[in-house]
Amino acid sequence: MENSTRTSRIQPDWWSKSIAGIFLGLLLSVGLVGIFAWSGPGGIAAPVKVQFNMWLISPIWLLILSFTYMFKTGLRAFICLSSANIVIYLILFAVRA
Amino acid sequence: MKIKSDILRQYQSVHIWTGIISGIVLFIGFYAGSLTMFKPAINAWAAPPSDTLSSINTAQFDSLIKQASMQYEEVKKGFNIFLNQKEHSPMTWYEKGSARELSLNDQLWHASLDEKNQLIAHKTNPSALAELIDQLHQTAGIAGKIGHEYLGVYILGIAAILYFLALISGVIFLLPSLAKTFFALRKNKSSSRFWLDAHNLVGITSLPFHLVISLSVVVFAFHDPLYGSLKLAVYQEQPLFPAQKHTKITYDISQLQPVSSLINQAQNFAPSHQVIDMTFMNLNNPRAMLRLGMYDKGGLMRGPITDYIYMNPYNLKITNSSLDPSDEGIWTRAVATFFALHFGSFGGDMGRWVYFLLGLGGAFLFYSGNLLWLEKRRKKFKKDNLLPTQTRACHLMASATIGICFGSVAAVSITMLAGKWLYPWVENINSIYLPVYYLIFLSLVAYAFIQGAAKSAIAIFKICAIATLAIPLTSIIAVLMPSLGLWSANSISTLGVDLVALAFGLCFIYGVIKMKKRALYGPIDSIWSLSSHIKKEVSFSCTEKIQ
Repeated sequence: MENSTRTSRIQPDWWSKSIAGIFLGLLLSVGLVGIFAWSGPGGIAAPVKVQFNMWLISPIWLLILSFTYMFKTGLRAFICLSSANIVIYLILFAVRA
Repeated sequence: MKIKSDILRQYQSVHIWTGIISGIVLFIGFYAGSLTMFKPAINAWAAPPSDTLSSINTAQFDSLIKQASMQYEEVKKGFNIFLNQKEHSPMTWYEKGSARELSLNDQLWHASLDEKNQLIAHKTNPSALAELIDQLHQTAGIAGKIGHEYLGVYILGIAAILYFLALISGVIFLLPSLAKTFFALRKNKSSSRFWLDAHNLVGITSLPFHLVISLSVVVFAFHDPLYGSLKLAVYQEQPLFPAQKHTKITYDISQLQPVSSLINQAQNFAPSHQVIDMTFMNLNNPRAMLRLGMYDKGGLMRGPITDYIYMNPYNLKITNSSLDPSDEGIWTRAVATFFALHFGSFGGDMGRWVYFLLGLGGAFLFYSGNLLWLEKRRKKFKKDNLLPTQTRACHLMASATIGICFGSVAAVSITMLAGKWLYPWVENINSIYLPVYYLIFLSLVAYAFIQGAAKSAIAIFKICAIATLAIPLTSIIAVLMPSLGLWSANSISTLGVDLVALAFGLCFIYGVIKMKKRALYGPIDSIWSLSSHIKKEVSFSCTEKIQ
């Protein structure tokens, strides 16, 4: 696949990239915020911190979505974001334990 | 800065598509949002000055509350107090409705004291105009509800996601040429160049504002699902919001702490702030609560106008606030910043004016973006000398841009105007606002699609100009002919409404002149050209000249 012309340039793949960015990106940003919520300053029970955490999701999520279009293909976006999710959620579970 | 060309092409597509899908609703959101910077002024402008009773000294409030609560049963539940605010009566309470929910049939009592310290009170239908403009800002005028939220709020939430994508992608594909063309406003090259330069300049200079607005709109629209996802994935058995503890004691309004000690308590808690209004709620049950609006002239405030302190008005205990100065309050203060950055409630009046202009700049961004989209798809003269027909998509998009964006602008102006002129003739002025707005808006949208963009643009801009200029004119007529039952500006803020309308009106006149010029003397192979009936002949002679 490496030497075919299809993969040498960025493919549009609008639908697959957008779907990956919206759903896997949201999942990833919630996971990242989750790590901050548990192990960041104040811990999980700090009053009002939940509002701050909720606000944090959208910038992270939308930045991930914005840069999803840099992936060469939609498939690659799916694979990369899924792997990132697995890593982040493993950390989240470790932090919570 | 060098970026690979295929990345640039990707982001150009992202920018174009996200922009064209979300631009029109965002235009309405931004234009109406700019106006909401001055909500109290608009409400004061829309209500006859006789509605508002004169203010009293802080020391007189206890007597006012006592007299009002003895005569009016509703007061025992709750009421509002305004300290030295010209736009408000010193004391108000709702007989029907509440300040929290938008309703067109609210009945509000105003109360004050006369020279002999005796209660004076009367009932009004408070103007819902500013609240409706706010609603237009939040929903773009899209009616309907899903659950407890307006459909339009969700649509603007989705538009805000697209808008964030448009901002990031716009910056990415602008980066390579940014250093060269940032401050360039090439007026002489071509009109589309000028629009492009202006679009880029406004977009880049107000980028932080736009990032903040887009992100906060996403939160405003989708906070429930976002909290839901946090609960599901992060908090799980941890409660998101710990339950508030309430006392079980029921007090009576006669046990209320004196207003001066309530103010003192708040002032001690927030020395840099000033109490400007107090809302007493649930006074006759255990959930009794006082919300104090705390204004800080140069500071940053969480609410649209003020910070808040929540207090039990019977025992002076502060239960909550948006300006908690303790170490634990860091999250409260951080979240307050996000709100303030959307509401423009920092930096005092100066901050409001800057936000007002930034909001208008945003509306310009979406309008100019659509113009550029149309220009890019314009079919130009080819070698065969025949006048090319523009695509259907271009015609529809041009009509939608003109009809929806400026149809809404015209409808807002006419609604404001109708609110004044029809006031003596209808029982409740709030009942006319929505019918007038939608009648004008929908007719102008229909007109734009039927007549085409070129013709309707001039007509709709004319309507915008006339209606908007009629707003200050009404004030002048009110002074000259008092028998009509109109009223004129009576304070700096209401005069401000008239002056802004005057400035807008002049801009619309300028727009009409430019549009006429473009329609008659601009390139005839353009969607904006009005020389269509003579196009065939002209195209011949014109192309001859070109050759």
